[in-house]
Amino acid sequence: MQSVLRPFSAVLSVLSRLALWIAGIGLAAMTVLVAWQVFGRYVLNSTPRYTEASAIMLMAWFIFLGAAVGVRERYHLGFDVVLYFVPRRVKQILRSISDVVVFLFGAGMAFYGTQLAMHSWSAPIPTLGLPGGTSFFPLIAGGTLICLFSIERLLQRIAGLNPDDDPLEEPASDEEVQAWN
Amino acid sequence: MELIILFGVFTLLLLIGTPIAFCLGVASFATILFMGIPPMVVFQRLNSGVAVFSLMAIPFFIYAGDLMVRGGIAARLVALAGAFVGHLRGGLGQVNISASLLFGGISGSAVADASAIGGLMVPQMKARGYGVDYAVNITVTSSVIALMLPPSHNMIIYSISGGGRISIADLFTAGIIPGMLLAIALMTVAYFVAKKRGYPTEKFPGLTAVLHLLVGAIPGLMLIAIIFGGVRSGVFTATESSCIAIVYALMITVFVYRSMGWRDFVAATLGAVRTTAMVLLVIGCAATFGWLLAYARVPAHLIAFMQTVSDNPIIVLLLINVLLLGLGAFMDMSPLIIITTPIFLPVAVAYGIDPVHFGVIMVLNLGIGLCTPPVGSVLFVGCAVAKIPIWTAVKSIWPFYGASIVVLLIVTYIPQTALWLPALFR
Repeated sequence: MQSVLRPFSAVLSVLSRLALWIAGIGLAAMTVLVAWQVFGRYVLNSTPRYTEASAIMLMAWFIFLGAAVGVRERYHLGFDVVLYFVPRRVKQILRSISDVVVFLFGAGMAFYGTQLAMHSWSAPIPTLGLPGGTSFFPLIAGGTLICLFSIERLLQRIAGLNPDDDPLEEPASDEEVQAWN
Repeated sequence: MELIILFGVFTLLLLIGTPIAFCLGVASFATILFMGIPPMVVFQRLNSGVAVFSLMAIPFFIYAGDLMVRGGIAARLVALAGAFVGHLRGGLGQVNISASLLFGGISGSAVADASAIGGLMVPQMKARGYGVDYAVNITVTSSVIALMLPPSHNMIIYSISGGGRISIADLFTAGIIPGMLLAIALMTVAYFVAKKRGYPTEKFPGLTAVLHLLVGAIPGLMLIAIIFGGVRSGVFTATESSCIAIVYALMITVFVYRSMGWRDFVAATLGAVRTTAMVLLVIGCAATFGWLLAYARVPAHLIAFMQTVSDNPIIVLLLINVLLLGLGAFMDMSPLIIITTPIFLPVAVAYGIDPVHFGVIMVLNLGIGLCTPPVGSVLFVGCAVAKIPIWTAVKSIWPFYGASIVVLLIVTYIPQTALWLPALFR
């Protein structure tokens, strides 16, 4: 089991790095777009029309890919108090239930995202001229990755590994991750 | 019945440790299924819930704050604070609090404040013979100041969770006096504790040195003016000013201080992705949750219930404050703002409380919750920076909690503390 899992994990590790970098580049690109918007308004005296809509589209990529990576690197915010007080075995079962829930929601994102994209394909996004369905691509991509990453956790637990206490990747520091507070 | 499913699924998943975003999403999904509405709605709302321009200010401000810490702007502000208040009783403790006041003007993150200022101040305080617990107590409780002063991204989260009609400029302005009050209260406690324990003071470095440090810190101080002035005057939106903050921080740290390398830049960028992506996912998943709450008329029922308890806003605010302090002890601030604002804000408004005032109460209250065990991320970071157990810090932190609660009560019951300044600017 573990030998099958290793190449699977290796592929997901690459996907996760890739998603993180795309999200990071998205954030940097959002900064450039909004800065250009301000520059255009006050220096060039003409506000570019596409900046806001394209920055919003990049933000969706940034959020859904970043959130998917969070499932793998386990930096999502949750309420872990109860888990401290239950035996190890129960904790593993509860974590597995959580992973199934996360998987289902990811599957919902991908499945319903695809349906929504097909429904809205013919209605173009104003100012960008792209098909309306493209605005659901980040939701579909993020959902698919969330599914893959939660399956990986479940398989690892079945294989006797412990993905809850040994993070899959070098974890980011707490200060770095919790700066939302 | 809808409500039982909504809250039942949410609470159950929350207790078994499912990430909050998914608790909200799956609970809404289950409820929608039960009600016979096409479940596609949940994901449509999720997608449109994150496609909001003002939301972008949250990752931008966190990104800018991280760049400033890595690029040495925070260190220069701490040095400046040292020159100004180091010679007062409780010297380095006062420096720590004043540094939070300055840092709070460029960052809205209490955790970033605790790790940046704690990382610089705690070793210094140790070396000068201060108790490590005292150093941590001050680092942790004064970090809450950063939440109150602009740019406070939690105020933006509140504004969005409240339906997006509450002015971010007003919220930013309203937090300033409460933030200052908190600084004064903490400095007073720091003074008396230092006196009792006989801690040293620092020598006044002389006017030339102060001037020198002031010049070094000016680029950081300028940013306070740019952010606040830009949003307040309407020259920039909050999102635009947060973007200017990033560009400005990059220019200063790359070209003036020359302290920002490629490696730091990448770390800051990926750090901002990790920090904010899931908070924004929580906001997106809360879109359907909030809609269901309104659909089931939860705020209306709660208002009716509250009116049977008391028709006095003083009592109602006290109840909400106690409840939020209790929840804040167990949960992080941003998800609590996202979940409880659609429930409590209509109640507060029904009792004649101004939404801006209520936002300030909420951020201050939940900010204190970040410093309290069992779950308090700022407390954890402060203790981690100083390498002491949580318990060691909590044993002597009570006077500082006391001062924070007193300020919370003052801000709650004297609305002018929050509302006077925004009215002045209008």
